[in-house]
Amino acid sequence: MIEHAYLIPLIPFAASLIMMFGAKEDPHSPAPWIGIGAMAICLGLSVSILSAVAGGTVPLPYEHNWHWFSFAASIGGKSFLYDMPIGVLIDGPAAVLLVVVTLVSLMVQIYSVAYMHEDARYKRYFAFVSFFTASMLGLVVSSNILVGFMSWELMGLSSYLLIGFWFEKDGPTEAQKKAFMTTKLGDSGLYLALLFIFAKVGSFQITQIHQFINNGYMTGTVATVIAIGILFGAMGKSAQFPLFIWLPDAMEGPTPGSALIHAATMVAAGIFVVARLYFVFLAAPDAMLAAAWIGCLTAFMAAAMALVSYDIKRVLAFSTVSQLGFMMCALGVGGYTSGLFHLTTHAFFKALLFLGAGSVIHSVHTNDMRLMGGLSKKMPITFLTMGAAILAIAGIPGTSGYYSKDMILANIYYANQPIFWIMLGTALMTAFYMSRLFILTFWGDDRDHEKHHHAHESPFLITGPLVLLAFLALVSGYMLNRNELVYRLLEKPAISAPQAAHAPAAPADVHAAPPADAHAAAPVHEGGAAGHHEGHLPHWLHLALPFLVLGSIGFAFALYKGPRYALADGLKSTFAPAFRVLDRRWYLDDAFDLLVIFCDKVAAAAFWIDANVVDRVFVDGWGLLTRVFAEISNLIDALFVDRTVDGFGGLSLDLGVGLRGLVKEGQVQEYLMYVAIAFSLAATLILTR
Amino acid sequence: MMTAPLTLSHYMIVAGLLFLIGVFGALTRRNIIGILMSIELMFNAANINLVAFDRFLHPEGVTGQALALFVMTVAAAEIVVGLALLLAIYRGTDTVYAEDFNLLKG
Amino acid sequence: MNMLTVVTFAPLLGALIILCLPKEKVKAIQTVAFVFAGISMIASLAMLPGFDRGTPDMQFVERYAWIPSFGVQYFMGVDGLSFPLILLTTFMCVIGLVGSLGIENRVKEYFFWFLVLEVGMIGVFCALDLILFYVFWELTLVPMYFLIGVWGGPRKEFAAIKFFLYTLTGSVFMLLAILALYFASPAPHTFDMLALAEMTGGWDKNFQILVFLGLYFGMAIKIPAFPFHTWLPLAHVEAPTAISVILAAVLLKMGVYGLLRISFSLTPAGFQWFLPALIVIAVINIVYGALCAMAQTDMKKMVAYSSVNHMGYCLLGIAGMTTAGFTGAVFQMLSHGIITGALFLLVGVIYDRAHTRDISAFGGLAVKLPVFAGLMSLTAFASLGLPGLAGFIGEFLCFLGAFQTWKLAAAISVLGIIATAAFFLRMLQKVFLGKLNEKWADLPDLTTRELVSIVPLAILTVLFGVYPKWPLDLMNKTIEHMLGK
Repeated sequence: MIEHAYLIPLIPFAASLIMMFGAKEDPHSPAPWIGIGAMAICLGLSVSILSAVAGGTVPLPYEHNWHWFSFAASIGGKSFLYDMPIGVLIDGPAAVLLVVVTLVSLMVQIYSVAYMHEDARYKRYFAFVSFFTASMLGLVVSSNILVGFMSWELMGLSSYLLIGFWFEKDGPTEAQKKAFMTTKLGDSGLYLALLFIFAKVGSFQITQIHQFINNGYMTGTVATVIAIGILFGAMGKSAQFPLFIWLPDAMEGPTPGSALIHAATMVAAGIFVVARLYFVFLAAPDAMLAAAWIGCLTAFMAAAMALVSYDIKRVLAFSTVSQLGFMMCALGVGGYTSGLFHLTTHAFFKALLFLGAGSVIHSVHTNDMRLMGGLSKKMPITFLTMGAAILAIAGIPGTSGYYSKDMILANIYYANQPIFWIMLGTALMTAFYMSRLFILTFWGDDRDHEKHHHAHESPFLITGPLVLLAFLALVSGYMLNRNELVYRLLEKPAISAPQAAHAPAAPADVHAAPPADAHAAAPVHEGGAAGHHEGHLPHWLHLALPFLVLGSIGFAFALYKGPRYALADGLKSTFAPAFRVLDRRWYLDDAFDLLVIFCDKVAAAAFWIDANVVDRVFVDGWGLLTRVFAEISNLIDALFVDRTVDGFGGLSLDLGVGLRGLVKEGQVQEYLMYVAIAFSLAATLILTR
Repeated sequence: MMTAPLTLSHYMIVAGLLFLIGVFGALTRRNIIGILMSIELMFNAANINLVAFDRFLHPEGVTGQALALFVMTVAAAEIVVGLALLLAIYRGTDTVYAEDFNLLKG
Repeated sequence: MNMLTVVTFAPLLGALIILCLPKEKVKAIQTVAFVFAGISMIASLAMLPGFDRGTPDMQFVERYAWIPSFGVQYFMGVDGLSFPLILLTTFMCVIGLVGSLGIENRVKEYFFWFLVLEVGMIGVFCALDLILFYVFWELTLVPMYFLIGVWGGPRKEFAAIKFFLYTLTGSVFMLLAILALYFASPAPHTFDMLALAEMTGGWDKNFQILVFLGLYFGMAIKIPAFPFHTWLPLAHVEAPTAISVILAAVLLKMGVYGLLRISFSLTPAGFQWFLPALIVIAVINIVYGALCAMAQTDMKKMVAYSSVNHMGYCLLGIAGMTTAGFTGAVFQMLSHGIITGALFLLVGVIYDRAHTRDISAFGGLAVKLPVFAGLMSLTAFASLGLPGLAGFIGEFLCFLGAFQTWKLAAAISVLGIIATAAFFLRMLQKVFLGKLNEKWADLPDLTTRELVSIVPLAILTVLFGVYPKWPLDLMNKTIEHMLGK
C-alpha cells in the first residue's frame, strides 16, 4: 500500500476541486459526501500504511521520487542541471501523522455536515476543508522540502480562506489577514532556510540533506542559522511566542474549521517540519535551546491567558498554543519522540474539545461561558465526551494526554531544570483552566435561563464524531505507549558524524548521489532502550504529579462551581493588574497593531519620497537640466543665429509685400505668366551672355 | 526634288513651336481643361527633344526613348491627379474657368 | 520559411491593411487586427516544436545585409533567452487586443498603433544586430506615446510626454553606447551582437564600464530600476487598460532582456563592476517598491508599484550572477507578464463598471461578483508569490540564485515579499470582503469578453506554477551556456 502514498494528498485535492467547481451551491447538496468519501479512502490508505510501518513489514524510510522540472543551478561556481524531484518520503512520524490528519479531518467533515447545513456557502466550506487537509497531507508525505514548503504555504492560503469564511463580517476578514501575515512573517524564516540549505547542499531532498549533515559537511554555524530559520517558520505556523497572536483570532472561522486548524493541520505543520528536519537541529545545539525556551515561554504565556478568558473558543485557542509550546519545548530539549507523541494525542483531544465547544455554541448561540452553565443535563453526550477530553488534556493517569505529557516533562526534567519547573507549573495551570471551562459550561446552575431553555443535544452527525474522538482521547496514549510502540514509530533520528569545524570545499557532489545511496548511508540509529530512561520522571515526581493535577482541578471546582463566585472575584480584584495584562494578551496584539501602523507610516514615507524626491530629482531634474540647456541654446539662437535668419526673412517678407501690390491676387494664369516672363528673361540672359 | 536630310535642328524647331503653343495655351485659355491640354503639349515637346537628342547624339543607346516613355507615364498619372483635383474643385465651385479659382489669394 | 520575419512583421502587414480600411468599419478593423496578431502568435507557437531545447545556439537565424556600407545587418535569431519572451509577447498582444475591444473612439488609429507596437516589441527580442535592435526599441516608443496620449485617462498628455521623453533620454545614451561598441570593433566595424560578444576580451575595463553605463541608463529606465522608475506609475495609471497590460507584460521586459542580452554579454567587465550597485538597486526596487505600493489608494497605481517590486526580483536574480538567478529572472519575466497583465485587466474591469479605482470606495464585492473576486484573488495570490502559482517559481529561483552570492541582500529582500503580501491582502479585504457597500449593489459580474481575456492568463498562471518544466526547459541550456563561459 505504501507505494500508493502519493494518492493521499491527491485524492482530497481532487475532491476539493470537484466540490468547488463541479457542484452547485445548495443546502441539500450531496457535495460534502464527496469530500468525506475521499477522506475515508485516505484514512484507509493511511491506516494500512501505518500498520505496515508499525509491523515493520516495509523498510523505512520509504522514498519514491518522480521528476518534476529541471533548472540550471550552481553551487560554489560549479554549474549543473538540478532535477527537482517530487515524491513521497514515509517514515514513522509521517505514517502516524497521516492517520491523525485524515482521521481528524474525516471526523470534522462528518460533524460539519450537520453543523454547516444552514450556511449559504455549504459546498465551498467543504471544498476548503478538503483543500486544507490535502495541503497538510502534501506536507506530511513530501520528500522534498521545497514541495513541503509549497504545501505549507497552501496551508496558509487555506487557513486564510477558512478563517475568513464568513467574510461579510469584519472580524473574520481582519483575523484571516492577521493569520496570513503573521504566518507569512514566520515563513520568511523558513524561506531563507531553504535558500541556505540549497546554497550549501545543492538539493532540496530531505534524505540528501540528512546525508550531507551525516557526512559532516555542514558547520555548526550554518546549521544554527538554518535551524533558526526553520524554527522561525514553525513559530509562525505552530503559533509560538511571539507569533501566536493570530491563533486566538483565528476562531472567527467556523468552529469545525477551527478544530481542523488547531488539531490536525495548520499548527501541527510547524512541529512536524521541525521534526522532519530534526537532524539540522541536532547539528545546532543553540537552535535547540532557543526552541526549548520559546516553547516554554509560549506554553506559560498562553496558559496564563487562558486562566482569565471567558470565551470558550478563546480558552481552547490559548490551550492549543500552550500545548504547542509543550511540543516545541520537548523537541528543543531533544524529546523528539515525546514531542510528536503529544502532537498525536493532542490532535485527538483538541479536535474533540473544539467540536464539543462547537456543539455547545450550536446549541446556546454564544461563546461566552458566563452565559452558559448547567448544560450537563441538556447535552449529556457533549458533556461526557468533553469531560473525557478535559481529563486527557489535564493529564489524568490513563488518558492519552497523561502518557505524552508525562514523557515530555521527563525529557525536560533531564535536560533543563529551570524549564522543567516552569513547564510543571504550566501543566497545572492547564488542568486548572480546562476544569474551569468545563465547570463554567456544564456544571452548576444555568446563568442565562433564556439560553439554557433553548439548549438541546446535537444531532447524531455531531455527537458521533465526538464519541469516537473521546474514545481515542482516552485510549490512544495507552495504545501507542504499549510495548514502547511509540519509540519504534517515532524514532529519534541521529546524525552520525561529529560536526566538522569547517566544511570541506566543494560538497556539491551530493546532488549527483542517487537517493538509494542516501538510504544506504542513513545513520545507525541510537540504540533502542538506552535512550528511554529519559522518558520516565523520577519516581517521586511521577507519583506526585497526578495528585498535583487533581489538586489543581479541585481548586478550579472551589472557585467556579457556583452559585457564588466570591473567591474568584476576590482573586480577580486582588491581582487586578495581572488580570489586565492577561486580558490584553500580554499587549502583544497592541504591539502587532503598532507594528502595522508603523509599517504603514514607513510605506507612506516611502511613497512621499518617491513622489517628492525621486521623481523631482530624476525626472523633473532631468527636465530642468534639459530646459537650462534649451534656454542657453535659445539665447545663442536669439542673439546670433536668429538675427541672420530674421534678416533674410525680413528681406523676403518686405519684397513679397512690395511685389504683391503689383499683381491681381489669386489668378493662377497670371502667376504662370510671370513665371514665363521670368523664365524667358533668364533664358535670354543666359543665351546672350 | 532633292530632299535635304532631316537634322536635329528640324526636330528642335518643331519641338520649340509645340512648346510655345503649349505656353500660349496655358497662359491664355480660360477653361482649365484647356490649360491641362496645353501642359500636355509642353510635355510632348520635351518628349520630341528627348527622342531627337537620343537619335542624333547617342544612337547606340535607348536612354532617351526610355525617358520619353517615363515622361508619358508620369504625364498620364499627372493628368489623372489634375483631372481629379479639377473635378473636386468643380464640385465645390461649379465652374471650370481658371480666373474664378482664387483661393490662393493671401 | 523565415519564421521570425513572419512573426515580427505579420502585425505590420495588418497595420497597413487597417490603414486602408474606412474608419467606420470597426468590425473589419478589429478582425484584421486579430487575424494578424493571431498569425504572429500561431507562427511563434509553430516554432515551438522546431526549437531545439538542447542547444544554446541561435536558432531560426536570418541574416541579410541591410546597410552594407555601415555593416548593418538584418540579423534575427532566437535562443532560450528570447524565445519565451517572444511567445509571451505574441500571446499578450492577442490578450491585449481582446482587452481593447471596448475602445470606441478612433478605433482605426488605435489598432494601427497597437499593431505597430507589437512589431517593435517582437523585433526587440529577435534582433541580433545592435542597430536593428535599436530601431525596434525606438519603434515601440512612438505607438506607446500615442496610445497613452490619445486613449488615456485625465492626465494622459502629461503621462505620455513624460514617458516618451524619459525613455527617449535613456535610449539616446544607449545609442551612444552602441556606437562606441561599433567603433571599438576592428575594421570593418560591426553591429553584430554575437561577433561583438567574442571580442569583449580585448576591451579595456574602463571602456566597458562606460559603455555599460550608457546601456544601463537606457535599460534601467525601461525596467524600471530605482531611481528611474517614477514614469511607470503615472504611465500605468493614465494608459488605457490594454495598454497597461502590454506595458507591464512586455515593455518592461525589454529592459531586463537588454541587460542580459547586451550588457551582460558585450560588456562583461562593466557588468561585473556594476554588480554591487545592481544588488543594492534590486533590494531597493523590491522593498521600496512594495512599500510604495502599500501606500497607494488607487488600485492601478498599487499594481504599478508592485511591478517595480517584481522587476526588482529579476534584478536580484541577475545580480546573483548564477544560473539559478538568471533562470529565475527569465521565468519571473514570464510570470510577471502573465500575472500583472491579468491584474491590470481586472482593475480595468472594475474601473469600467464603477469609474473609480479607489480601494476604500468598495467593500464586500465578493458577494456580488464572485467570479471577478475569485480571479482577482487568484492573481493577487500569484503576484504575492503563493506556491503552486507562476509567481512563486520565478521569485524563488531569483532568490535562490541571489542568495548564493548576496546572502544579506536576499535576506533583506524577503521583507519585500512580506510587504507585497500585506498590500495585496489589504486590497482584497477592502474591495471584496466585509459588508457590501450598497452603492455597488447592482454591479454586474464579468462579461464573456472579459472572461476571454482573463481566463487564459489565469490558466497559464496555474499551469506554470504547477508544471514549470515547459518554460524552464526552453531556457535551461542557453542560461547554462551564458554563465558557463
